[in-house]
Amino acid sequence: MAEILAGLSAVLAWQVLGFLAIGVCLGAVFGALPGLTATMGVALLTPLTFWVSPEQGLAMLLGIYCGTIPSGGIPAILINVPGTPASIAASWDGYALTRKGQAGLALGINALASTTGQLTSIAFLAFLAFPIASFALRFGPAEYFGLTLLGVSLMAGVSGGHVLKGVLSGTLGLALALVGLDPMTAYPRYTFGMSEFLDGISFVPVMIGLFGLGEVLVQISDRQSVRASAAAAIGRVLPRIADAKRMARATFSGAAVGTMVGAIPAAGGDIGAVIAWEQARRTSSDGDSFGKGSLSGLAASCSACNAAIGGGMTTMLTLGIPGDAVSAILIGALLIHGIQPGPLLFANNQAFVFSIVFLMIFASLLIMVIGILGAKPLAKVLSIPAPWLWAGIIVFGTVGAYALNNAVTDVWAMYVAGVAGFLFRKTQIPLGPLVLGLILGPLMESNLRRALILSRGDWSAMLTRPILLVFLAATLLSLLWPLIRARRGAAKRSQGRIPDA
Amino acid sequence: MRHADTICGALLAALGCGLIVSGAAFPAGAGGLPGAGFFPQAIGALMALLAAALLLRGLRGRSEGPFSIANMREVAVIAALLLAYLLLWGSGWFVVRTAVFLAIMLSLLGQRWIPALGYASALAVLVYLAFDAGLNVTLE
Repeated sequence: MAEILAGLSAVLAWQVLGFLAIGVCLGAVFGALPGLTATMGVALLTPLTFWVSPEQGLAMLLGIYCGTIPSGGIPAILINVPGTPASIAASWDGYALTRKGQAGLALGINALASTTGQLTSIAFLAFLAFPIASFALRFGPAEYFGLTLLGVSLMAGVSGGHVLKGVLSGTLGLALALVGLDPMTAYPRYTFGMSEFLDGISFVPVMIGLFGLGEVLVQISDRQSVRASAAAAIGRVLPRIADAKRMARATFSGAAVGTMVGAIPAAGGDIGAVIAWEQARRTSSDGDSFGKGSLSGLAASCSACNAAIGGGMTTMLTLGIPGDAVSAILIGALLIHGIQPGPLLFANNQAFVFSIVFLMIFASLLIMVIGILGAKPLAKVLSIPAPWLWAGIIVFGTVGAYALNNAVTDVWAMYVAGVAGFLFRKTQIPLGPLVLGLILGPLMESNLRRALILSRGDWSAMLTRPILLVFLAATLLSLLWPLIRARRGAAKRSQGRIPDA
Repeated sequence: MRHADTICGALLAALGCGLIVSGAAFPAGAGGLPGAGFFPQAIGALMALLAAALLLRGLRGRSEGPFSIANMREVAVIAALLLAYLLLWGSGWFVVRTAVFLAIMLSLLGQRWIPALGYASALAVLVYLAFDAGLNVTLE
């Protein structure tokens, strides 16, 4: 108890809270601009923290981290351009709500579900850090392969009714992920002799192109319908109590999935959000509305991608293992301030751990307030004349893609993906599975091949691993679920036809 | 025949076959381990199979008329403008180049020249300040 109070009092200083507020506001800007990521924000501002106390420095960096992910959902909802990779799933239902004239409600749900996800994962961090982290540590290459296989199997689920085209789109994503050096032998594949392709195709420019530029070209093509929808109302921001009750299950299950996935090194909010969205769709009685403006779908994805923050922090603080690029930079910042993350941190400096917990709580509450108060002004972006909005998306997308690596090839990748995204939309090929394939392809291949090296090429040896078996069973269920659902539906319909006795 | 499905199916089937053939040329794995060509071939086979199904569905499906895109001319002009902007990337005068590109784009989309030029210039300056001056991304 004394450590909790010490941790709380350390962060209640106005300087610490001031740095936290600056960090959250900067994070909100970074998240809302496609191409600027949490990693970039934390990396750029880490040097500024050298001249302040550990609490103040960490407050700003955690503020950026906790502010970026929720605000990544804002452009995803308003203009169908995810601000961060973690917000891709938020665009599926969020943008559909905007087109229905409920942009305010979608932004309100984004703010509330994001904070719920973050607070739930922080509670896990505070009370269950060690069990979660030790579970995550049991993941070897075979288990990672199982997780990515489960992710890939969700392609059909995120295809929005076009299952065959969706799975094809996913295999195209997997094929694009093959470009670059072979992960095991470093043999160049599909690089066409160009050194720019040795690292593979950058994911973020492709995402900006598919969702940003592709959407702009579609709107230019469908100008009449855009003019009609521009007049749509923003609507209320806060959900009704009945809606909140209906979303509660999806929100909390999304938070649990996001925390667990986030705790696994290298598996972040992007994967967690897709898994949570699909899980919520399957277990919902209203699963057919997912992808068409479902409040529960939006809540599940927003909650999960934010819960991954707490999950990642859990692994980082308890084991000293960075779960993603942001955690790696945070570890560096902590080391500079003389703090070594790992089991000893919990034994020797519990007050500091609780300081982190309280900083994250304050950051998530602050971003919720910003999100709710800012929803209506932000939604005004929809009243900007469409061509002006398109110009903004194109120029920010272009420079954002370039800024990632200062490479013009990333801008080429974005433009090619933009044209592809336009043609895909026009031919009703879903984009979600392509992105899923592009993210998961390299992870799936490298982990399967690592697992086979460890088992000396014996495929059956992998089947002795219980966590992998659970993932394989979940994958099988995921693939068979559409058939099971169809059979159950047919059975219900046939029961309905039987006359009452 | 459904044109879009047929064309997509044929293109992706060809890509899948291409992956299978090219994957065979990559070094094989040693000691029963998959080599660099294993995943390209597996993905290629899956893609070819699914694309063949889409192709068949397209050929057998009821015709929805020829595949066409509304306002195709405007889309093509904007795409060409984007290509020109990209080809001139790094040639200097970022703010001026971007402002001119955006102003032309806005005027092509029916906006009046003077407000378009004003907005385009403001946007170009804002992007330059945010990225070059603020984030140290060299824009030239």
